[in-house]
Amino acid sequence: MLILPSLLLALGVIFYPFYEIVRLAVSDVSRFGLVRGFSGWDNFNRVAADPVFLDALVRTLVWTATVVGGTILLALPVALVLREDFWGRGVARTILMLPWSIALSMAAVVWLWAFNADYGMINATLQHWGLIDKPLHWMARPETAFPVDVGIGIIVSIPFTVTILLGGLSSIPGEIYEAARIDGARPWQSFWLMTLPMLRPFMNIAIVLNVIHVFNSFPIIWVMTQGGPDNRTHILVTYLYELSFYLGRPGPAAVVSLVVLAIVFSATAVYMWLREREA
Amino acid sequence: MSRPLRSVLSWLVLSPLMAVTLLPFAVMIATALKPHDEVLSYPPTWLPRRLAWENFRDMWDTVGFGQAAFNSVLIAVAATALALAIAVPAAYAMSRLPMKGRGAYRQFLLVTQMLSPILLVLGLFRMAAAIPFGDATMADTRLGVIIVYAAYHLAFAVWMLSSYFATIPADLEEAAWIDGASRGRAVLSVFLPLALPAIAVTGIVTFVASWNEFTVALTLLRDPSRLTLPLKVVNLVAGRYSVEWNQVMAATLLATLPVAVVFSLLQRYLVTGLTLGAVK
Repeated sequence: MLILPSLLLALGVIFYPFYEIVRLAVSDVSRFGLVRGFSGWDNFNRVAADPVFLDALVRTLVWTATVVGGTILLALPVALVLREDFWGRGVARTILMLPWSIALSMAAVVWLWAFNADYGMINATLQHWGLIDKPLHWMARPETAFPVDVGIGIIVSIPFTVTILLGGLSSIPGEIYEAARIDGARPWQSFWLMTLPMLRPFMNIAIVLNVIHVFNSFPIIWVMTQGGPDNRTHILVTYLYELSFYLGRPGPAAVVSLVVLAIVFSATAVYMWLREREA
Repeated sequence: MSRPLRSVLSWLVLSPLMAVTLLPFAVMIATALKPHDEVLSYPPTWLPRRLAWENFRDMWDTVGFGQAAFNSVLIAVAATALALAIAVPAAYAMSRLPMKGRGAYRQFLLVTQMLSPILLVLGLFRMAAAIPFGDATMADTRLGVIIVYAAYHLAFAVWMLSSYFATIPADLEEAAWIDGASRGRAVLSVFLPLALPAIAVTGIVTFVASWNEFTVALTLLRDPSRLTLPLKVVNLVAGRYSVEWNQVMAATLLATLPVAVVFSLLQRYLVTGLTLGAVK
């Protein structure tokens, strides 16, 4: 009885919208959302033939792989350093956790301004250091806009990942390093043969949770590039939003939703399997 | 390795990432304090020639910052209260009472935790627009946003609370029953005081997540008087040709500062709490 309210609320706010999406996906829907009748696989076929969708699907995979990969590669050394006892460690930790406190959408606005071609501080600083000779129009070209999106995705994912990895590192007892040192192990050997294997479960969880977060990440790309220029920074969730509320194509949008849901459910299944195995 | 040497090395290794982390904050502060004409002067400089505090006053009026802040506080507080009111009993039941289907309920929570509102955004909007509320519908109401936030934070809250509740020994409550307290009284006067830290951490995380949320608010809210702070800030920039960057940065700074301060102060507790919830 005590868990009933939570079930009802979750069911209402998750399963009813899900039902609506399935219904839209197989219906002929007007641009104002009026259901005009059953249409079978029409919407699915239309989405499958949509070059922007296919492009966004591939880009979503690239986006997820590069952001999560970059995050882990940066977060691991940071967590290792933060485990050491050094002067100002508390300050260092607080600074590195700061991005967590700023809303993704507002962080994106600030970065957009920092990358402004004429008045942004990034071009100004790069020019000052002599790395570029004239201002770059970062957000105007997909070749630079998408890597900028990825870089910001990495920066905002680091605090959470470092936190999980630090939790993992603190669960490794210090004595085993002592023992290994006495037995003549070199530092890189104890890292490679002890730290990494013992950190594995935490790495797995950090990777899976990040994959799910990053895959669903909407505000950064939406605020910085809105999928543009030329539809060439869209990932599935931004394209789905544009289809739903800007292009007035609810039917295909519902199909894209289902595709994304299917991918998230597979990732969740992998996560559950990992949890079972580690437990 | 000696401590001074280790300290220097550690800071050296961390410094590139620190610089990138601090850059947006530096940009925010520098621009928020620059007078309008200096923001659009070329080449741009870091330090303002004069501190333009009037940006905050101008921004307050043009953005309607007060109203937006009120909306953000109202929505985040109400969503947090609703989520906790539903999650605390559920977590108590999960950790204390024997019941059938506990495993299934856990799986259910895990699955809902993976769903981000963006995946169902179209269905959410249609649902809100289909529920009558007053003389209109739940779409474009703050109540709608509150309910959606509470629902999507529920899984996380139940999960975290129940893993913490499980660490509070049940003997204490049982001792209170023996002393003649009713079950409800034992919960109120023995269990709740001990559970308060966990409830506080869960509440803060839920509050900050709601305070910062963008997608659901963007979808459901339309009327300018009901927009939250992130929406207001994004609207100042999105699709405009001339952007008052000094005012935008002043608004961003003012919206971020309280959360950043709370976060730095409570960081240690949050980190332990989150790792408990995420990993155990």
